Amino acid sequence: MDKFAKTNPAWALVIALVVVAFLWLVLAPWPTELEAAIGRKRVFLNALLGGITLGALYFLVASGFTLIFGLLRIVNLAHGSLFLLGGYIGYEVTNYTGSWFLAFPIVFVAVGLVGLAMQRFIFAYMEGEELRQTLVSIGLSVVLADVMLWYWGGQSYTTLAPGFLRGPMELPLISSINTTSGEAIFIRYPSVRIWILIAAIVIGVAMWLVLNRTSLGMLIRAGVDDREMLAASGVRIQLVFLAVFVFGAGLAGMAGVVGGTFQSLSPGEDTRFLLASLVVVIVGGMGSIVGAAIGALVIGIAEQMGLVYAPTYSVVFTFLIMAAVLAFRPQGFLGAGR
Amino acid sequence: MAPARAPDRLWFERIPMAWWIVVAVLLTMPLFANNFWLFQVMGWSFILGTIAVSLTFLAGYGGMVSLLQMSIAGLAGYMVAILGPSGTTSISLGLAWWIVLPAAFLIAAVFATLCGALAVRTEGIYTIMITLAIAAAFFYFTRQNYTIFNGYSGFNLVLPPQLFGVNWRDPAPFYYLCLGCAALCYGAVVYITRSPFGLALQGVRDNPRRMAALGFNVTAHRVAAHALASVFASVGGILLVWQNAQIAPGTIGIPAAIDILVVAVIGGIRRPLGAFVGAFIYVILQVFSPDILGTFGFSAERFKLIIGLGFLAVVLFSPDGVLGLWDRWRARRARRVDPLTGAPR
Amino acid sequence: MTLAAPDDRLTQMNSGNALELRGITKMFGALAAIADVTLTVRPGERRAVLGSNGAGKTTLFNCITGDFPATSGIIRFFGEDVTAFPPYERIRRGLRRTYQISSLFAGLTVMDNVYLACRGVSRNRYSLLRPRSDDALVHAAETLVEAVNLTAVRDQLVGELAYGQQRQLEIALALSGAPRFILFDEPAAGLSPTERRDLVTILTSLPSHIGYIIIEHDMDVALRVVESVTMMHNGRIFKEGLPSEIEDDPEVQELYLGGGHG
Ligand SMILES: Nc1ncnc2c1ncn2[C@@H]1O[C@H](COP(=O)(O)OP(=O)(O)OP(=O)(O)O)[C@@H](O)[C@H]1O
Ligand SMILES: [Mg+2]
Repeated sequence: MDKFAKTNPAWALVIALVVVAFLWLVLAPWPTELEAAIGRKRVFLNALLGGITLGALYFLVASGFTLIFGLLRIVNLAHGSLFLLGGYIGYEVTNYTGSWFLAFPIVFVAVGLVGLAMQRFIFAYMEGEELRQTLVSIGLSVVLADVMLWYWGGQSYTTLAPGFLRGPMELPLISSINTTSGEAIFIRYPSVRIWILIAAIVIGVAMWLVLNRTSLGMLIRAGVDDREMLAASGVRIQLVFLAVFVFGAGLAGMAGVVGGTFQSLSPGEDTRFLLASLVVVIVGGMGSIVGAAIGALVIGIAEQMGLVYAPTYSVVFTFLIMAAVLAFRPQGFLGAGR
Repeated sequence: MAPARAPDRLWFERIPMAWWIVVAVLLTMPLFANNFWLFQVMGWSFILGTIAVSLTFLAGYGGMVSLLQMSIAGLAGYMVAILGPSGTTSISLGLAWWIVLPAAFLIAAVFATLCGALAVRTEGIYTIMITLAIAAAFFYFTRQNYTIFNGYSGFNLVLPPQLFGVNWRDPAPFYYLCLGCAALCYGAVVYITRSPFGLALQGVRDNPRRMAALGFNVTAHRVAAHALASVFASVGGILLVWQNAQIAPGTIGIPAAIDILVVAVIGGIRRPLGAFVGAFIYVILQVFSPDILGTFGFSAERFKLIIGLGFLAVVLFSPDGVLGLWDRWRARRARRVDPLTGAPR
Repeated sequence: MTLAAPDDRLTQMNSGNALELRGITKMFGALAAIADVTLTVRPGERRAVLGSNGAGKTTLFNCITGDFPATSGIIRFFGEDVTAFPPYERIRRGLRRTYQISSLFAGLTVMDNVYLACRGVSRNRYSLLRPRSDDALVHAAETLVEAVNLTAVRDQLVGELAYGQQRQLEIALALSGAPRFILFDEPAAGLSPTERRDLVTILTSLPSHIGYIIIEHDMDVALRVVESVTMMHNGRIFKEGLPSEIEDDPEVQELYLGGGHG
């Protein structure tokens, strides 16, 4: 940070100004002229919160994707299918047992096992053949999509969150000032989304801590930096690979439960979330957890803001962000150079 | 540059008998095949094959697996619908075909060049990811945009021009139109692979660093390949919109983009012929899946499952596709007959 | 030695040097593979670069051709500052190189390899028309294939060639077009005595206006085909001189020739 400010004082100033303006937009009540120009503050805050929570969901999906790529160099294009599968299983579990919370561990294990099978019985046999692995993952996604369509049909499902999470929740953010009483009106937002945001942050921080502060994390990071060396050092690298793949798959499955609660599950959601993961990691940088977090946040907010303020072009925003990153920083915000 | 082998044989004598038979069957097909076969099965095979051969050109010869070819084909198709006449008169401009067609090719080529320029900034599997993301963005854009692409509903009543007084959507004329276009594209790809550009593209695929050290601008070459491939894709896309008489976002969705890859890989992505073989297999499976699947007690809707499993099998066990299987089978037979005759190169 | 000393008046006008390196440094992470290398070579001059394994010789070549951009320093090629040029721009200006580890197109035939090399430094790189059999570049390629004794295998895939033949082809690629200056990276490594003799013939019979730098561990080959020698060690140049002086230099004997056996 310091170094950046010293080397690029102009850019640092611009960024600082943007941050201040943004904080003002979020925290201060808006003057009427501003509301006249760009609409109610409530709309803005809702779009922003929607973007952040959507970003949290994207992060949950994309972090597994990026982790698997970072270590195993597998671009798993069946990642979206794992997401959707997790969502469906979560729906079934919630229905049978009546417990939404129970869905998470069960889905994690179930989808993790699917990931285990994929890595152990398919990808492990073509290590280093990146293109072939990618093609295989495409084939798997086609097959999985059709199997899911077979079993669950074309209708859409929504998983119900438990009652105490369903209502709205008041956030300490001023939406507007009541003109007659002068009282501040605070924004209300679905509490389940807030909790999911918190959960995503906890998971993200935990992943970061494991990766950066434990010996297992050191192993994994060493693998990202230098696979040959790690393999030569006698570590049972295949086991580490397998564990990472299973974890990434399980995480995608759990994200599916979240997605099924947030929005809904139907055929086609698998590609949507695969694409979200792709764009997130292209923007954030392949193989970087922090990059995935930044990318997810940027894409989530861009998508929601776009939907609210320029509905016809919301996809274009996402795409333009990706194109700009590719043009100026092909390895992504935090990606290592090629 | 071909070695002057067997100078006593004329060029047409060097073409194997099987080829002559295939050509004869294809040319006379309208005499004995019914309309459904001509229009749906063969027409669609040629169209899919033409789009897939653009991917073969990029991937097999250039080493760039792009999932954008369907989007480019679709864009050309959309341009025909938007610039020419269609049922959506509020948007379609209804221009004459001799403006519409060049414009469609040009716009698709510009789009392909821009996307190619983005995609070649990275290498290998990144190309797949990036092109997939762009294809998806384009799909969602056409679905959301009503001013140009007419959103969900797209365009219908997009018909080929009545050139020479022929209704080109009648089965036999359409069959010959598709056959001609497919043959042209196939021939062009085969021809170009031995041209300086095509050779250099293979060089770029095998050893980009060395190509740079021979004076080639590798990046520009790759982008140019994307632009050139867009021509073949556009041919397919325009035929497709004429065949369906309509185009909508579903035509260029992600499943469709992946289908092109599946077609090219199943047939054998190293050879232009593979695209057409793959397309034929795909169409046959698609069209006859109710009967085929029915006999095995499956519902007719499981076509995608079959295709997916077939694709997986090819990628796992025969990376050079059905054509590769065929070669190996022939080589084994030849070896059984005469142990001295090795596999023909 | 005054051999390579630049003529100052010429340097100021259009630099009479074929190649001029000023303070070239290349870092790999914290490792300086070459450090502050300054070197000038006159047009037509033939020079050997000697040094132990890891001395930075190949890296020096990579910086000159632009395969790896130098971390700092300036490179001039026939007076033109090419420091910021991509490799292909330098090649198009008459620079050529061979690779220590053969870098060929295994899936193409010998003729196609050489034809590509000729095409790369000519116009119409993007031509979609197949060359006719009387195409000038096809002729040029045939001549080159013959010059390196590969006519018998001209239509074979390069991947199927013997090692020595691949090394020959590597040289043919570097002779394509109208080279003005060539960098040979250990062209004799792994060759049989006969092949070495052929190599020496090829090198000595190059037109006299073509200069080159050759990296070569085999002193017999190296000192027979050059008129000046540069010694490198640990990324730095530590001695320049005539072949005869280098051969007799005790420091060189110890550092390089001695090290070579150990
Ligand atoms: N791509 C690279 N990345 C990191 N380090 C490199 C790279 N290329 C070379 N090096 C290092 O730079 C140093 C110089 O290597 P270089 O290949 O230039 O030596 P050389 O003089 O050509 O040796 P040799 O006689 O073995 O060919 C070595 O320590 C090598 O490990
Ligand atoms: Mg070397």
